[in-house]
Amino acid sequence: MAAVTDAAVPRAPSLLAKTGTAIRRNPTIFFGGAILLILVALAALAPWITGDPLKLTPSQRLRPPSERWWFGTDQYGRDVFARTIHGARVSLVVGLSVAAFASVIGLTLGLLCGYFRKVDAIVMRVMDGIMSIPSILLAIALITLTRPGLGIVLVAIVIPEVPRVVRLTRSVVLSIRSQPYIESAISGGTRGAKLLIRHILPNTMAPLIVQATYVCASAMLVEAGLSFLGAGVPPEIPSWGNIISQGRAFFQIAPWSILIPGAFLTLTVLAVNLLGDGLRDRLDPRLSRRM
Amino acid sequence: MSDDKPSLEVRNLVKHFPIHGGLLQRQTGTVRAVDGVTFSIRRGETLGVVGESGCGKSTVGKTVLKLLEPTAGEILLDGVDVTDFSPGQMWSHRRQIQTVFQDPYSSMNPRMRAGDIVGEPLENFGLARGKAKDEQVASLFQRVGLRPENMRKFTHEFSGGQRQRLGIAKALAVNPEVIVADEPVSALDVSVQAQVLNLLIDLQEEYKLAYLFISHDLGVMRHISHRIAVMYLGRVVELTDKRTLFTRPLHPYTEALLSAAPVPDPARKRARRIILPGDVPSPAKPPSGCHFHTRCPYAIAECKTVDPKLLEVAPGHQVACIRRPVGTDFAPLTPTQ
Amino acid sequence: MSILQVRDLHTQFFTQDGVVRAVDGVSFDLDQGETLAIVGESGCGKSVTAMSILRLIQAETGRIVSGSIKFEGRELTTLTEEQMRGIRGHDISMIFQEPMTSLNPVLTIGTQIAENVVRHLGVSWQEGLNRAQEMLELVKISDAKRRLDEYPHQLSGGMRQRVMIAMALACRPKLLIADEPTTALDVTIQAQILDLMLELKEKIDAAIVMITHDLGVVAETAQRVVVMYAGRKVEEATVGELFAHPMHPYTRGLMRAIPRLDIDAEAEGRRARLQEIPGMVPVLTQPIPGCAFAPRCPFATEKCTAERPPLVENRPGHIAACWHTDRVLEQAA
Repeated sequence: MAAVTDAAVPRAPSLLAKTGTAIRRNPTIFFGGAILLILVALAALAPWITGDPLKLTPSQRLRPPSERWWFGTDQYGRDVFARTIHGARVSLVVGLSVAAFASVIGLTLGLLCGYFRKVDAIVMRVMDGIMSIPSILLAIALITLTRPGLGIVLVAIVIPEVPRVVRLTRSVVLSIRSQPYIESAISGGTRGAKLLIRHILPNTMAPLIVQATYVCASAMLVEAGLSFLGAGVPPEIPSWGNIISQGRAFFQIAPWSILIPGAFLTLTVLAVNLLGDGLRDRLDPRLSRRM
Repeated sequence: MSDDKPSLEVRNLVKHFPIHGGLLQRQTGTVRAVDGVTFSIRRGETLGVVGESGCGKSTVGKTVLKLLEPTAGEILLDGVDVTDFSPGQMWSHRRQIQTVFQDPYSSMNPRMRAGDIVGEPLENFGLARGKAKDEQVASLFQRVGLRPENMRKFTHEFSGGQRQRLGIAKALAVNPEVIVADEPVSALDVSVQAQVLNLLIDLQEEYKLAYLFISHDLGVMRHISHRIAVMYLGRVVELTDKRTLFTRPLHPYTEALLSAAPVPDPARKRARRIILPGDVPSPAKPPSGCHFHTRCPYAIAECKTVDPKLLEVAPGHQVACIRRPVGTDFAPLTPTQ
Repeated sequence: MSILQVRDLHTQFFTQDGVVRAVDGVSFDLDQGETLAIVGESGCGKSVTAMSILRLIQAETGRIVSGSIKFEGRELTTLTEEQMRGIRGHDISMIFQEPMTSLNPVLTIGTQIAENVVRHLGVSWQEGLNRAQEMLELVKISDAKRRLDEYPHQLSGGMRQRVMIAMALACRPKLLIADEPTTALDVTIQAQILDLMLELKEKIDAAIVMITHDLGVVAETAQRVVVMYAGRKVEEATVGELFAHPMHPYTRGLMRAIPRLDIDAEAEGRRARLQEIPGMVPVLTQPIPGCAFAPRCPFATEKCTAERPPLVENRPGHIAACWHTDRVLEQAA
């Protein structure tokens, strides 16, 4: 019998050391993730840590940030802190759900397109069609046709994001299909759904997760844009977009009501993109290969 | 080798790939990757297919495995014509023909554990499940020289040679009759290559496997094959037992190929080294007549027009060259240029 | 006269898994007009040795830790990057394994060769182009004048390697480093390129360092051979001597592990087994106190794992690093 040879056994470092190494190797994932976690916690606990974002205090209109009003008040005397933190809920819900829906729909269509050539021709033409419509206009059109609400905003943002995910997934599936390990699996008698689920699907995950973070960031921006234009969530739900929009007229005397939610939006999108970049470097071996 | 029916027989196999071009992606040409190949392999026998890149040797392997649909010709697996089988029909015959790939790095799903990769065919064909499967996988691991403890590891934790052993274990799992091995050792270092070649030879003798062994390396070919087919631009130009091929090659291409390979022996001055001029022509535009005539030192006018047939010019020795007719003597040809 | 002297070269890479001792104390000399082959398997440090001579080790990943490289008496390890640029492609040039990746895809062949000539020799552009054409003719590319205007993708693999050779020789280098120059090529094209290199060597009188894993290529091209294993030189001799009397167990194992196309290994119709070298190459992140080959060596004793064997000249001009050369030679006899 041939000599038995074995891969070297790696030493198991302590959990603490592992975490430290992980942060050093992927600082972007760590910082992006940490900022996002803080935001999610704030948004989730919003009703307990802030006051009522809709409560009007007419005597306290346009107050600058102070000990009582951390982020100041707006022209109706509403607490900008409460509104900003509640606004995070809309942004995060929109960002995460759009990322989730667009990924699931895009992944399914992309897998089918990459796997069944006949589906491909039809679906990809539809996707090309969707991509040729400006997404903001499509969203405004959809929203004006129906009653405004969070649900329709989600649909309006998901539709234009789907083609990007489909394209990515399809190209990944096509490249995986030509990999020798797929031929090897077919030769070993693997077929149908098992081939798709066991061999193709897991290998599309890394690029898909990265793409999902970019979709998430983009969805937050689009939502803010729609709300700013008055075509987003209804005004009774505070969202960073409509807070900025309402504060617009009073920018000269109360800049905080725009700058603070604006800064939160920027920070959130930045955190999501940082996370995405970090995940890409981590998950894509071609980019992260080091000596 | 008592069984007379070949394990694998291929008759006039043709595989063409369309070339698309232009704005509308119309078909603008054809790559004649495999252009009429005939051979058969018996139990316990290794047929080597040797040739340079673009000669179609890998395409032969993939078409025989029905990973590619043949354009024309017949493929008989243990006497059954599987040429026009649908993927579903082919599935039940996949057990008989397994494969070992060249690149041990890309031929295994990076997200699966070694034991699952080897055990998957067992599961697919309903041969073993659960504990029985694990036991079989463990014994396969042992058979190819891997420790069963490593079943839980991912493939990237193995070295190149170990991965190739994994690939062999996977191919063996379903007790196949034929194994198509496409350059199974060319990605390995010499010292590891020897281990894998020895393993392949041992397994062949133990299980009476038929090997279709595809390689560009003449040394490996001489070592592992019983008979060898030399391919050039989609066609077999010479097919005979290995001793005859290496000592009395008849086709001018075989002769040049053998003389061109560097030999690790500085004391041995080879009598005559044939340096072929130019490059291998594109299989999309193969030369007329004999595909080799553009580089052949012995080409005559007819070579440009006559398609040479692969003929048995001497017992067990097939050659496709009009200058080597049936009953040819083995005397060297005189160069025409 | 020796043109290149490498002394106790240590090149290391700093990775997540630790320090990789890619080249671990290698010394050799190269005479004017001589061809020296450095042979070994992947990861033995042969390419890193070549990259070290040209100072092409990426500073972010590794560096030459100690040792000296003298080219025509000039110490290369202490030169500035600017000074090195004057040497690379001029006095010392290199041919790589994969010509496609070392040629710029958006520049014509003529431009790429001429640029190098103009930069190093300070001649006019027209003279540079003339030299380029001359070089293409030298490497036997037909219709050289027209080829000057072609792009790398228009050429076949063998042609590209010829262009690489033309480019490497354009400034009349004194030392040519060829890193697996024929590995990516088909057998018949490999024969063409090796033939060309042997022929050009007579004409240009440059010293050549030939890096390869293929003992066949070594036998056909080199005069002297350095065998490397795990970053160390384990044996050095002239080609004839090395193949006739391999002294290091690794060299011997390697030679026996090669399936030979020139020898009928069959006995009574049965295929012979190849001689295996058991196990695999050691991990270079752990220091190896003794002989790096000991765990795989049939001759190994306790001394081998404990103490690093020195390079000893056991036969005239033939050195090997092994505690048991006498036993190895005895067994061979």
